Amino acid sequence: MANITKKVSWSSRPDETGATGETTPLLNGSEQPRHSRQVELMSGEGAIFHIGRHGAGDLEEEMTTEEVKSEGRPKEIPHNEKLLSLKFESLDYDNIENQLFLDEERRMSYMGFRCLEISRWVICALIGFLTGLIACFIDIVVEQVAKVKYNVIKENIETFTEAGGLSISLILWAVLNCSFVIVGAILVAFFEPIAAGSGIPQIKCYLNGVKIPRVVRLKTLVVKVCGVICSVVGGLAVGKEGPMIHSGGVVAAGVSQGRSTSLKRDFKIFEYFRRDTEKRDFVSAGAAAGVSAAFGAPVGGVLFSLEEGASFWNQMLTWRIFFASMISTFTLNFVLSVYHKKPGELSNPGLINFGRFESDVGDFFTSIFHSSTVLQAELLLCLMSAVLFCRYVHRPCLQVMEATLVAAVTAAVSFTMIYFSNDCQPLAPDNTEVYQLQLFCADGEYNSMATAFFNTPEKSVTSLFHDQPGTYNPLTLGLFTLTYFFLACWTYGLAVSAGVFIPSLLIGAAWGRLCGILLFWCSTWADPGKYALIGAAAQLGGIVRMTLSLTVILVEATGNVTYGLPIMLVLMTSKIVGDYFQEGLYDIHIKLQSVPFLHWEAPATSHWLTAREVMSSPVTCLNKIEKVGTIVDILSNTSTNHNGFPVVVQVMEGDVVILCGLILRSQLIVLLKHKVFVELARSRLTQRKLLLKDFRDAYPRFPPIQSIHVSQDERECMMDLTEFMNPTPYTVPQETSLPRVFKLFRALGLRHLVVVDDENRVVGLVSRKDLARYHLGKHGLEELHLAQT
Amino acid sequence: MSQHKNSLLLALLTLNTIYMVQADSLNPAPDMSSLFSTSLMSSFPEDLEISGYCKELLFFFKQRYVTFVDCLILAARPVKVCQNCSSSYSMLQDIYRNISDQVGPGNESCRDSLLSSDRLMVVYQLYSNLQDLWTSSNCESNLTNDTLNFLSTLNQTLTCFEKYQLGNHTELCKSCKKMYGDVNKLYGRMEKNDTMCIDLEDAMNMTRRLWSKNFNCSLPRDETVPVLAVSSFMLFLPVIFYLSSFLHSEQKKRKLIHRSLLDRYSIKAAGDGIFSVR
Repeated sequence: MANITKKVSWSSRPDETGATGETTPLLNGSEQPRHSRQVELMSGEGAIFHIGRHGAGDLEEEMTTEEVKSEGRPKEIPHNEKLLSLKFESLDYDNIENQLFLDEERRMSYMGFRCLEISRWVICALIGFLTGLIACFIDIVVEQVAKVKYNVIKENIETFTEAGGLSISLILWAVLNCSFVIVGAILVAFFEPIAAGSGIPQIKCYLNGVKIPRVVRLKTLVVKVCGVICSVVGGLAVGKEGPMIHSGGVVAAGVSQGRSTSLKRDFKIFEYFRRDTEKRDFVSAGAAAGVSAAFGAPVGGVLFSLEEGASFWNQMLTWRIFFASMISTFTLNFVLSVYHKKPGELSNPGLINFGRFESDVGDFFTSIFHSSTVLQAELLLCLMSAVLFCRYVHRPCLQVMEATLVAAVTAAVSFTMIYFSNDCQPLAPDNTEVYQLQLFCADGEYNSMATAFFNTPEKSVTSLFHDQPGTYNPLTLGLFTLTYFFLACWTYGLAVSAGVFIPSLLIGAAWGRLCGILLFWCSTWADPGKYALIGAAAQLGGIVRMTLSLTVILVEATGNVTYGLPIMLVLMTSKIVGDYFQEGLYDIHIKLQSVPFLHWEAPATSHWLTAREVMSSPVTCLNKIEKVGTIVDILSNTSTNHNGFPVVVQVMEGDVVILCGLILRSQLIVLLKHKVFVELARSRLTQRKLLLKDFRDAYPRFPPIQSIHVSQDERECMMDLTEFMNPTPYTVPQETSLPRVFKLFRALGLRHLVVVDDENRVVGLVSRKDLARYHLGKHGLEELHLAQT
Repeated sequence: MSQHKNSLLLALLTLNTIYMVQADSLNPAPDMSSLFSTSLMSSFPEDLEISGYCKELLFFFKQRYVTFVDCLILAARPVKVCQNCSSSYSMLQDIYRNISDQVGPGNESCRDSLLSSDRLMVVYQLYSNLQDLWTSSNCESNLTNDTLNFLSTLNQTLTCFEKYQLGNHTELCKSCKKMYGDVNKLYGRMEKNDTMCIDLEDAMNMTRRLWSKNFNCSLPRDETVPVLAVSSFMLFLPVIFYLSSFLHSEQKKRKLIHRSLLDRYSIKAAGDGIFSVR
């Protein structure tokens, strides 16, 4: 009996089924015909309630039909963007108001709550401070190492220009680039693949409520920081700004917990915050601090968190996040001013400085109309990146090789461009910060292609914004934009940690400046530097598709409020044009990762879908007083990885079992680990009562069920879940529409939503994946497939 | 080399002293009435007029100012400002200092009456304009070992240029190359260390322009083939890489778990009963 029960009850929940067992596919294929939702009560106290569409008997019959078999077998399809992966879990943003929680709250004094509030502020200050320091570290190391690298190459080129043998300089450049990039790629590919890319999509998912494995670990931070340094110094078409946001998030997640699981150090502080809810708040503060350190834009950081990240928001939290951002940009500014030996001058609010623009907005309004040319570039970029993302390169060593090749090609292309460029410009007086190459130019002049290619991207952006009109000739800019564009597209898919902000700013600035120069020929009043700014804004807006936050970030980075309106108009245009063709880069990225991401709204035409159709059923339920063996069996069944179990109780009259609570896998595991069994409690009177602290100590890495040993005797024990379950889980009736359910999930940050019938019996369970599957495609409502990855 | 240096220093010193002596001997007062023509206005009461001492100072100021400006204009192109006008600038500075800081007989100061008694402040404005000009010329940062060294090398180079100028330029490029290289190197070093005075900068610029533009001695672009070969080899590598990994590995397959509601419901819409599907 038990055997059959096991087979049926939790391998037949299709949405989370692993599809590895033999029975599963058959069940999946056969689940549709009968919708008689009957609740079967298996005999005995320790039985599992199987609430399903068919009993074990039905199963036997339907297994025979050939048709069902062929349909039900898991199909193998190539990876595409219309899938949802099963490996992602939700975070528990809903507070579990069980007995323990209430007890703790009762014990806590008023002062205790005040202290909590103060420690939140302290943590935010720490987050800001540490994020600022990390930004400084990256900046200083990149600057120093880049200086060494460029000086070596420059000297080499100078000697070989005279003596002959420039191909050797080219090889030297390529080798230097490659060696840096190899280090970075090895770190990422072998040690922490999640640190690849900018990390913004991952943080976005995290704040949306999806648990991305390993995304906020210390190891990730270390790999990320080193990886960014390597890839920027390695001359790839990348920036160091995007990864700051991820780094800030990791710092926040680490600091707020007061311990590091990787280092096995527990500082015994901030224990109250060891929950998903609190952690999420701090991570959004960290992301804001990251933006603020990257661009010197504290308000932009807060708005970024609001727009891209946090789905859950309140006014005090905003204020705290703002505090963290301010601290972060100030720390960066202060430390960098000390580093530049001008303490107190505070002129480096961010990693990238756009420099000052005079507030003469006249040109701007005209330049907006010309920025439409810029938009085309951004469209192409989106398409390209989408294509390049589905790659055939999966193995780590191949990824390292790929990155190395890109580095070599970048060097080769840059060198060839510089070599064949005839654009010579007279040396400006004190331009010591930019590396200038003379090459074949007349003495006292420098190659202007080299200012664009032979520098870190940040410096190139600044020179595009601020150099005098006539510094670049149009051919140089056109060629530069084109090559850099392809390089940036190619680089984005690599397994190195790097951001996309700077390359897109650079491409946009070059485009914009080109437009400005062309216009400059017709009329003399256009300032190409401003066109460069507008172009950069349009390009960046087209790629990341942020609106509010990007406007504020750019306004803050240029330090001129007057530019707000032009920048805003440009961003609006680029978003409208962009959305017509393709989604933003981060959204594409999230889709390709098959993450069950919940957007702001449910798909527009989905009101006809009700909870009954959306939910997954049957549900594995537990009794209020459950046999340990059963629990262990349920948890250790590899074909299911259910995380929430409705707790039911049998009403006196007989067959009716009604919902009385919800318990999570993590809680069950902690209970099993501490052996909270009814029999043991009776025999050992001295046994300590389990506290909320025990759950927090296990957070966030709950041990797998396999590591918990339960002896044969203990399997016969009983476990009382009353104290630990959430006695008031959110429930909806079967007829609730999808948008309604969606709103609940989105606003409350739910993980499980129990669907009940009129008599409060469990009919199904809605989880994040059930909702994220529906999205509005080109042909109306589409449904994503669930797949294993 | 040291001889050159010494002689130049000596020359400068003598020049300076001569000017100083001259400045001191210029004391006697010239005719006052010729200075102030009274065509415009009647005279003011005694106490508002500027004193004779101040008038005297003003006159000297005018003289030296004119001398300096004369010198500047003559030395404008090619720039020899620092070389020619240092002394006259220092004289101008002296007289201005006299006006602004020092007191004359009977503790009389001309500072207020000459410099700041009206809105226009002619004397002050004129002086400060020239002061700015002088500061931006960087003439003060002159005369180190390197400077003299540089001057002599530059002169040698220019002589070399002159020598070969009429003949074939390739010959010039060949024979003056070493000297020019030295100058260039020296200049580069000085530039790195501190700011250069405008004379040297201009001289160097002219020399460079001569060398690269007039004589066309810039380096030729003659390594096109090897550079192209190496870079196209590097460009070719990724092609091989992607081709091989495309052929040898396959894309990751995803196992699909079938549970499509919309499919069912589209069939439902086709006319089946509510829950009878497929």
